[in-house]
Amino acid sequence: MADVVTVPQVQPVQPALRFLRVIPGVLLLAAIGYAGKLLEQNVGAYAKAHHWTFPNIEYVLWAIVLGLAISNTVGVPEIFRSGVATYEFWLKAGIVLLGARFLLGDILKLGGVSLVLVAVEILGSLAFMTFLGRLFKLKPKLTTLLAVGSAVCGVSAIIATKGAIEADDEDSSFSIAAILALGALALFTFPVIGHFLHLSDRAYGLWAGLGVDNTAEATAAGALYSDAAGKLAVLVKSTRNAMIGFVVLAYAIYWASKGQAQAVGNKAAFLWQKFPKFVLGFLLISVLATYHFFNKDQVGALANLSRWAFLLTFAGVGLRTNFKDMRKQGLRPFAVGAIGEVAIAVFTLGLVVGASKLFHW
Amino acid sequence: MGAEAKSVNNESRWKLSLDSWAVVVALLAALLIRAGVFKHVPW
Repeated sequence: MADVVTVPQVQPVQPALRFLRVIPGVLLLAAIGYAGKLLEQNVGAYAKAHHWTFPNIEYVLWAIVLGLAISNTVGVPEIFRSGVATYEFWLKAGIVLLGARFLLGDILKLGGVSLVLVAVEILGSLAFMTFLGRLFKLKPKLTTLLAVGSAVCGVSAIIATKGAIEADDEDSSFSIAAILALGALALFTFPVIGHFLHLSDRAYGLWAGLGVDNTAEATAAGALYSDAAGKLAVLVKSTRNAMIGFVVLAYAIYWASKGQAQAVGNKAAFLWQKFPKFVLGFLLISVLATYHFFNKDQVGALANLSRWAFLLTFAGVGLRTNFKDMRKQGLRPFAVGAIGEVAIAVFTLGLVVGASKLFHW
Repeated sequence: MGAEAKSVNNESRWKLSLDSWAVVVALLAALLIRAGVFKHVPW
């Protein structure tokens, strides 16, 4: 008689169950986002009625601050976590819908300028972060992850690169923590610096899109300044995101040539796999809007739907930022990230100010 | 290769990424608005 071997069965999670599991967290995102919206409307009105001097705080900031307060005091209970993690989904859906507010001509005009600035930013940031990583004697693959995270698009770029160059889990969590912590910091410092320097909406939007690493934080940092700056920050950040495949491919080839990662077979398939599809969705909606597929009211409805999606995103940005967890990750990668980010912020500010003077913005 | 493994492979081939799902859902919402199912989205 053959021996009976018991193999532990991994039960696949049913799609319906997976859907039910995200509902509490999505409701929490909606509740926090909506509370932020109500606070924006009512706190200002209350302060005005009582003749207090109180700055007008946008719903974006309220939603982030409420999320941060929950995450860093009581924490996010397990039941909400999978739903809170959907904030990336809402971000991408919101960006696609935002395409309705861009005419193709604007994208080509702004995208052309931003493409040049993005190329300069990516090359400059990659070179500088690599130099800093070597100076601080970080592990080479950790340096690669930090460089890609700060040059291209934060967490998604780190995750894409980690798989391609076969980096350690520890290295990627170091890099993700550093990028997230610095993104949270940028959220609060960029608008203050922008107002201090009296940057125009266009210059500030460009700067936020170029200088803030994670897409959610770049969107929020832009929206905190003004609606127009928020729109432009999303466009520039999406242009940066579109470069992800090329940068990851270059690093994958580099590490494979050193025998420390698998060689890339079909390069076109690799590029397609890494390409952020929401950029294509954004372009498709803007093409449809340009050719009047939607009437004026419908464009307004799409823009509002995009705002609701961003509202959930901003609540998620606050909820997933936990300063205690970030402190656990250690100081050195954070120091490299921080020095790099400050240098990149100054460098991109210089690029934007230069472009503003050149194009008379 | 067993039938089960084959079915898992086929399943993962058709599995959409989060990115693609976001595009599908956003485009569907845009079509519903275009078709007049949702006439007004308040803010």
